[in-house]
Amino acid sequence: MNLTPDSKVLIQGFCEFISGTHVAQMKAYGTNLVAGVNPGCGGQELHGLPVFDLVEEVIEQLGVIDTTIICVDPYDVLDAALEAIASNIRQIIIITAGVPPLDMVQLLRKAEACETLVIGPNSPGIIVPGKILLGTQPSEFYTPGAVGIVSRSSTLTYEVAYELTKAGLGQSISVSIGSDAIVGSSFLQWLQILDEDDTTEAIVLVGQPGGGSEEAAARYITEAIDKPVIAYIAGRLAPPGKTWRQTGTLATVIGRDPNFGTAQSKLAALKEAEVPVAERPSQIPELLRKEIR
Amino acid sequence: MDLLEYQVKEWFGKIGIPVLPSQRIDHPTDLKRLKIRFPIVLKSQVHGAERAKAGGVRFAETTIDAIAAAQNIFNLPIWGELPEVVLAESQYDANQEFYLAVVLDTAVCRPVLLGSKEANIDWESAGEKMHHVVVEQEFSPFYARRLALKMGLQGTLMQSVSCVVQKMYHLFVQKDLDLVEINPLAVSATGQVMALNGKVRVNERSIKRHPDLTEMAAKIISRHPSTEIDGISGDWDGVKMHGKIGILGNGTGSVMATLDLVANAGGNPGLCLNLRHAFLTDTKPTTFCDRLETGLKILEDDSSIQVILINFLGSIPQTEEVVEVIARVVQQDNSELNSQVVHSNGSKSRREQNFSPLVVRLAGSEFDAARKYLATLKTHTNALLVVENLDEAVAAAVRLAKPTAKKK
Repeated sequence: MNLTPDSKVLIQGFCEFISGTHVAQMKAYGTNLVAGVNPGCGGQELHGLPVFDLVEEVIEQLGVIDTTIICVDPYDVLDAALEAIASNIRQIIIITAGVPPLDMVQLLRKAEACETLVIGPNSPGIIVPGKILLGTQPSEFYTPGAVGIVSRSSTLTYEVAYELTKAGLGQSISVSIGSDAIVGSSFLQWLQILDEDDTTEAIVLVGQPGGGSEEAAARYITEAIDKPVIAYIAGRLAPPGKTWRQTGTLATVIGRDPNFGTAQSKLAALKEAEVPVAERPSQIPELLRKEIR
Repeated sequence: MDLLEYQVKEWFGKIGIPVLPSQRIDHPTDLKRLKIRFPIVLKSQVHGAERAKAGGVRFAETTIDAIAAAQNIFNLPIWGELPEVVLAESQYDANQEFYLAVVLDTAVCRPVLLGSKEANIDWESAGEKMHHVVVEQEFSPFYARRLALKMGLQGTLMQSVSCVVQKMYHLFVQKDLDLVEINPLAVSATGQVMALNGKVRVNERSIKRHPDLTEMAAKIISRHPSTEIDGISGDWDGVKMHGKIGILGNGTGSVMATLDLVANAGGNPGLCLNLRHAFLTDTKPTTFCDRLETGLKILEDDSSIQVILINFLGSIPQTEEVVEVIARVVQQDNSELNSQVVHSNGSKSRREQNFSPLVVRLAGSEFDAARKYLATLKTHTNALLVVENLDEAVAAAVRLAKPTAKKK
């Protein structure tokens, strides 16, 4: 993951989820935004960026692009991402929410084959406080420091950062991997990145019901993570989601635990891994202080 | 969104999955002009499960029998839903019955093929009888054959069942489905297969890119009250509970965290809506403000809601307009609220006076101006509270929802 201010960044599409304010914020943060791609708008300028019709035109004129931020309409995300992959861009951040899941299945097959890191969809991206902003994270909630945040929920990511900043705890890297049903990068990948990151001293993991990623993360923390980890799981009191024949069935028929995906199963896994779990976002700084001292 | 059986069978027929000759009956007298041969089976077209047990499936040998049975079915609500259509279908002599499905497994991010040599299986013990194949890479018919062989099928039956699975998969991808199911797939004495019943669940995020589905969704919305749409659609973007505090947020995690906080503070969360995505009821593209307006309207129309808690922080699109929408509601300008929402005929939708108190949590400098503006609004007591701290906002909402503060 190239998270340095010199990495060249492209924006594909301008929709509801990204505005001129976001673009200005990224630039002010030192992000090296070089261009935008908006089919039909080639040659124009938008939010202070030169606009092209195709990703390959950008590369022809401006050279290799490290990261693309995709903000096109949900139904055009797959196409935009495939276009980026075809142009050899290997870091993709998808801000757009509500991408049809089967489009994501197709994109992930391709991304796995081409070793491309896909963050999102439905992600506000990544922030390295004081250094670089890739996406729409509101930088005002952040201060540079030593706590890494990895989350599945956009707004909760800022909520946690806000609490940390208020409590005088700065952050090293904060990423929301996206809250759509199917997303690219996983908790495991990010726990590993944060574990290897020199500035990060402790990690906050923010989860919610659905899937098995928190459980996998809990196992991984026991096996491979040396830094202290604090978790928060939202939706403990929410009724189970209405998935196919209720949550457990698909799990059961293909040999998983009937509790699969529930907040309870995540809490149990975190308890087994001896990861302290906060009751509410405002309790996270207190738990972190006990761990880092 | 779930399709009705007759709609599923139309799709099956088009894609080449064998279905019986059938006819859509809109009124019992339609049976006088029946084109299929007796004996027939008449099936209530409702979304609820277990219609056979409830009496929604009847057999008929003659036109007179059939009309009587149809009259009966048209007047029989199943899980509160009366059928608008009854399906008349030929009968089939089944020797064996199987279960087949294609479903998206969001945990492995891949579609899964399911098959069992038993139909109508007991889901509690399904683990032992159900076979599955994960479609790891691009689909190719060998995945379907792999499933059929796992099910223990051989020869021509293996071929015909895998052929059906292959077509189910194509339908699954073509129409963006979360589930396509055949239960049962009947096998005749001569080894011919026939889909006797089918189920299709469409992914809500994809409806708007399929014109035929958009039309179906629009019909459901125009016919049913919003509370029923929730049941039919299967997964509304939000959480439905029955408490007094309605919650609006900008993201699933945020909505869920707010819900937990309310419950932990001794409050009862009611309907909670995530405004980050379009609602199923939105037939046209929407902006965040449109959804806020719709969300507020839904909560105002919900008679069990006594307090509305809005939780926004960080990047909300169109901050200025957001404040205007909230201000309009507080100033009780009901007429200006474009009722995008469903029915305006309902008894519970007319409550011009006394809006539920609003607790608005706005965090971040983006909202500095908004907070100041909202604070200046002259409103009657308790109607609007603007707070920056989440825990405080939750405490206030819980306090306002206590019976003594009841305003409606």
